[in-house]
Amino acid sequence: MNIREEPLRFACEGEMLFGILARPEQPAGLGVVIVVGGPQTRIGSHRQFVLLSRVLAGAGFPTLRFDVRGMGDSSGEKRSFEQITPDIAAAIDTLRTACPTVERVVLWGLCDAASAALLYVEATRDARIAGLCLLNPWVRSAATLAKTQVKHYYGQRLLQREFWTKLFTGRLNPFAALGELWRKLGQACARPEQPLGFQERMARGWRHFPGRILLILSGNDYTAKEFLEYAAGDASWRGLLEQNGVTRCDVPDADHTFSSQKWRNSVENACIDWLKRNE
Amino acid sequence: MAAEAFFLPVAAGQRFCLYYAPAGETRAVFLYLHPFAEEMNKSRRMAALMSRRLAEHGLAVLQIDLAGCGDSSGDFGDASWQAWLDDIAAALDWLRVRHDAPLWLWGLRSGCLLAAEAARRTEVAANFLFWQPVITGRTFLQQFLRLKLAGEMLGGEAKGVMATLKQRLAAGEAVEIVGYALSPALAQGLESATLAPPNRPGRLLWFELSSRADATLAPASQKCLEQWQAAEFSVASAVLPAPSFWQTTEIEEAPALIEATLAALQT
Repeated sequence: MNIREEPLRFACEGEMLFGILARPEQPAGLGVVIVVGGPQTRIGSHRQFVLLSRVLAGAGFPTLRFDVRGMGDSSGEKRSFEQITPDIAAAIDTLRTACPTVERVVLWGLCDAASAALLYVEATRDARIAGLCLLNPWVRSAATLAKTQVKHYYGQRLLQREFWTKLFTGRLNPFAALGELWRKLGQACARPEQPLGFQERMARGWRHFPGRILLILSGNDYTAKEFLEYAAGDASWRGLLEQNGVTRCDVPDADHTFSSQKWRNSVENACIDWLKRNE
Repeated sequence: MAAEAFFLPVAAGQRFCLYYAPAGETRAVFLYLHPFAEEMNKSRRMAALMSRRLAEHGLAVLQIDLAGCGDSSGDFGDASWQAWLDDIAAALDWLRVRHDAPLWLWGLRSGCLLAAEAARRTEVAANFLFWQPVITGRTFLQQFLRLKLAGEMLGGEAKGVMATLKQRLAAGEAVEIVGYALSPALAQGLESATLAPPNRPGRLLWFELSSRADATLAPASQKCLEQWQAAEFSVASAVLPAPSFWQTTEIEEAPALIEATLAALQT
């Protein structure tokens, strides 16, 4: 299907945001807003969001990707993913104005943008949001990081011959090495910080979200591992991954940003299949 | 005033452009040439901050996303050095129709190589603003290929990677590096690119950033600047203590670079 790309400029709390709408020839009633997180712009690492938006529009789904306040070409001060709910709201309004056929919207986010999408639905209960497409959601705190490190790094190291050889031949200071492991264990077992952290608000957003969720996880990514650890161990996340309406897709070997065409294609195909099923 | 965003039609598709209209009378026009691959994403914020300030000072700015980069049409893997030079020519045409004011080619990193080469080929009278210029394309390409090497080493397969990469490029095959497909045409263009000065002299402002407060220009930069001086360019340079915002993990700002650039342009 032919698509057309249009630059859009829209306001958010006194700042000017820039985005690109990929418009299909015959737009579906379902549109996509790509939320950008982390140190990225609407283009995405190695142009992932540009290429994704073209593929989604090619399948009939109008897709808007945009720079939040303080990022890329948009004006204003930089802010964290916990503070971009107004930016997401402005983008949804803009997509619906530019593409009046769009009635329902899917929020698509990678890493802390996935977290921002959950925080958006938690804060707004926006009835226009039909689905969430979440890739490698970000739940990091000192405790989750330490837990993942203990399990995936130290766990591996304890099984490695090299670690013990180094320890016994004195090339590794045993007190420092074991002290570090001990410290990490302490951090890993610490109680999560009070009051309601963003991770709990994400869980609440997920639990009460009436639409569909597509969870895409990279096989070779710390952030994804941390998310799984957290969701498995934290009370607020109990049962959420198994909840009705949740589809999980694992991309084996993929790194955090899907930095290869084959991994990007897996993501694109998974998204299109899921969007078509939820159209 | 907010920038105007539009797609510039070119023979092979469309190029995303941002135009920052100057406040008051147009004192000069700037064409911004972005750096390579992921460096472009990382530095987009700084380019925007500088452009806004330039526009406030009566200096018009046009930013263009080159073929296969940013929001422009095409895939990075289809881009070539020549296609990028053609895009620059199209952007200069767009500016020429609208403005009759002194022209500045403002490059960041490999964007400086493109600026110099575009000026040498077209004999356009231009001044140059270089931010952390890449001096030789060959070295830069080598560094880019090394990113692949680093990735493979983490996966434990480093042996012979660099040689294999070069063989594949030489055989006309594209290689994928940190998510970007690099075509042989782009690799060749980059490899032969130099920062040699054009024949028509003008001004050159050269800024480098360093984490050290007392840093001075590297000998290679010094030598290059002497070349431009010998070509009768009026040259000014400075090294500022600021983060390498085109490659930092988080998005960094370097306000000192913006202020120093504005101050140098006032003189």
